[in-house]
Amino acid sequence: MSTILDIKGLTKRFGGLTAVNNVSFSVREREILSLIGPNGAGKSTLFKLVSSFLRPTAGEVLFKGERISSLAPHIVARKGVVRTFQETTIFRNMTVRDNVIVAHHLRAKATLLGYFLGTTDARRDVAAFGSSADEILGFLGLDAISGEIARNLPHGHLRALGIAIGLATNPSVLLLDEPFAGMNHDETMKAVAMVRKLRERGLTVLLVEHDMPAVMKISDRVVVLNFGEKIAEGTPAEIQNDRKVIEAYLGVEDEAIGL
Amino acid sequence: MIRKLLGLLFFLAAVFILLPLFIEVTGRKDLYYVMTSVALLSIASAGVWLTFYIGRINIGQGAYALMGGYVSAILVMSYSWSFWLTLPIAGLFCAGVSILIGMPILRLRGVYFAMVTLVLTEVARLLALALPITNGAKGITSIPLPGSISIFGVTLVPDFVQVENPRIAFYYVAVVLMVVCYAGMYRLVNSRMGHLCMSLQQNEELASSIGVNIAWLRVVAYSISSFCGGVSGAVFVAATQSIYPSSFTVTDSVNFMLNCFLGGLGYVFGPMLGTLVLYLGWNLLFSTGQFQLLIYSAVMIILMLVLPNGLLSLGSWRRKG
Amino acid sequence: MEQVIANGLYLGAQYALVALGLTLIFGLMNVLNFAHGQMYVLGGFITYVVYGQLGLPFVVAVLASGVTLAVVGGLMERYLFRTVIKRSHREESTMLLAAATAFFFDAVILLVFGEKQRGVPKIVKGVFNDFGVILPYDRIVVGLVAAVLILGFIAFMKFTKPGRAMRALAQDRTAAQLMGVEVDRYTMIGFALGAMLAGVTGGLLVSITGVNSGIGGPISIKAFMMIMIGGAGVVSGAIAGGFILGMMESVGLTVLREYGDVTYLVIFAALMIFLSIRPNGLMGKPWG
Repeated sequence: MSTILDIKGLTKRFGGLTAVNNVSFSVREREILSLIGPNGAGKSTLFKLVSSFLRPTAGEVLFKGERISSLAPHIVARKGVVRTFQETTIFRNMTVRDNVIVAHHLRAKATLLGYFLGTTDARRDVAAFGSSADEILGFLGLDAISGEIARNLPHGHLRALGIAIGLATNPSVLLLDEPFAGMNHDETMKAVAMVRKLRERGLTVLLVEHDMPAVMKISDRVVVLNFGEKIAEGTPAEIQNDRKVIEAYLGVEDEAIGL
Repeated sequence: MIRKLLGLLFFLAAVFILLPLFIEVTGRKDLYYVMTSVALLSIASAGVWLTFYIGRINIGQGAYALMGGYVSAILVMSYSWSFWLTLPIAGLFCAGVSILIGMPILRLRGVYFAMVTLVLTEVARLLALALPITNGAKGITSIPLPGSISIFGVTLVPDFVQVENPRIAFYYVAVVLMVVCYAGMYRLVNSRMGHLCMSLQQNEELASSIGVNIAWLRVVAYSISSFCGGVSGAVFVAATQSIYPSSFTVTDSVNFMLNCFLGGLGYVFGPMLGTLVLYLGWNLLFSTGQFQLLIYSAVMIILMLVLPNGLLSLGSWRRKG
Repeated sequence: MEQVIANGLYLGAQYALVALGLTLIFGLMNVLNFAHGQMYVLGGFITYVVYGQLGLPFVVAVLASGVTLAVVGGLMERYLFRTVIKRSHREESTMLLAAATAFFFDAVILLVFGEKQRGVPKIVKGVFNDFGVILPYDRIVVGLVAAVLILGFIAFMKFTKPGRAMRALAQDRTAAQLMGVEVDRYTMIGFALGAMLAGVTGGLLVSITGVNSGIGGPISIKAFMMIMIGGAGVVSGAIAGGFILGMMESVGLTVLREYGDVTYLVIFAALMIFLSIRPNGLMGKPWG
């Protein structure tokens, strides 16, 4: 498998604080790679750096050998690296189906003026977006609620809608922001199956996640961050037995239970 | 579909035939001027509405109306251009300026954008006072009426000087422009551009993550908005044959915004209805003399309490219930 | 030069007081109170009546302005803004309400007090003239009172229970609610307090500049500019914005005197450029 995303020496400083320090790893085509770490390890920052929602202080992100860091987010999306958000970030006052249809933006063949005038291309696009949206909603099991206004959806569906929006852009790499957060066991299992199906569609998935059992179940490889630095990288089995990782997490757990 | 078509036909019949007929029968010729104003102000309000649609509160439309008015007046007076030629130029000039101004200020959100646009109206007024070309506080007056348009010898629009009552002519010009403007706006909102604007309004970050060039789209929407403002201002100036720095002030900018609110921010035709109600309401209250502003504002407050989502929300409310 | 600075400080103190009230209301409920300038004017007229017409002491008059406006503000929040915020789909709707209230106050003020410029007898006579500064004593008194009020306001927000509650509210409404802050009650108190500040400032300044029914709108715009410079919803920002605008006006009116309104043109243009570089003002919270 060849490398699709290459993260090279990424560093991000906010004022005096170094949130991400010289992190390098690479993502291979069609793999599921998880980014984990205790709270405040710099996961979210790294996630934003990869999707170009933040500019790195140093280092770069290469997509198929081409530098994408410091490009505007919409250009990165156009190249095929698309992020999802946590659940509240959806187009709240549109229906579920319209959410997905509008996200087909990058597949548009006609120009905005073309849509305004209703050219053949535009009409063809509109029809194609509709059927593609229905296909995606069916694929993620959202077809029954496609007419609902998005702000009324329950948590689990919101997460799936976020992924549906991401899928509509037809990405090569999908970056998922905590796809299992706040889910119970059953919901998580469903979501895990969903992410697996994404890979079957030919996507590469990079996800940031807290939920350790889910991560271990789903990932081909795992990268562990602590205090902004990469402390381990390997298969779930390797990570589970890594002394540094255990220490990092044990330390946090001690604090969490108040020892 | 058929209901929509019937509605459209009724609307066209009302503004082009029934209203003029009503005026002729009742002999209230002054209503032509009132309705011309409503039509023109509703064009400017439509522009403001579009900026609302991308999630920005625009209190700067007065600046573009003023700018459009001056561009047209100066071209007609100093360079003897035909008014009809200055009309699109005024709109394009405003659109161009709004692109330059919009690029930095559209990054602002919420009250910050609202306030900067409010300040913009003041800047336009002060500039009109200070620049030599606008003739300061004296303004530009005695602007000639629009001439005729003819193509291949066929006169499409007669010379306004020879028209029996230029007010009627201006009424038709204003209404035609209003119909074109709202038809365009309706189409825009219901085409992909409208959906993208909607996505901007709801969440700019998410919109950019799906590949929408949000900075560009914002500027495009804002420039269309300013185009409407410029055209509206230019016709206004032609109809009143004069322009002063105080022709469009902060009050006008605020009123454009209020028109949108009152009609309903979620409805394309909201600003048209809002303008009609506010402008006519204000004029009807004229007979109450010193109590005019008091009653007007009291009614507005009550409307806001009863229908906080605009007059047109009444219709959708009934449909749901 | 000293003169310019003295004028700037005097202007700044009164501006900051106006901006404080506006920013408090904005911070608490995300409402941009278009009627703020009208509240100032109302305060001015009340002091005019109580001090200028009835002949009661100036202090009593200013207090009367403050109390009246506090009541008016509280009622506005309770019966107008709260309802609209609850029922509207978009929070911008409060802007229409605020604008309508501004018109309403304009109308009431015009009906009750007429359109004449009104002034009152000087509170202190004489002129300070030393160190190259010429400043009437009454301006110094008003400037100092304004400064004391600003300090008092800061102390109130820092050290009293309502003050702390309001700061919590402004920072994060939901969190404050979870912590047990009575949201409705303190929002109303905050609105009343903001209105009171406007009224008191109006009352203080009637002794110097007088008051007339048409100045409400322009004062609102100035107050908007101040809170934009400093950052909307932030107390320190409002104070900084007030003093910065005061200084800019003082300097501008001296340097650009011959060009008339060009001062404001320059200030406005500078503000637009400044905001496009720093979209949240000097110390504003993001996306206020």
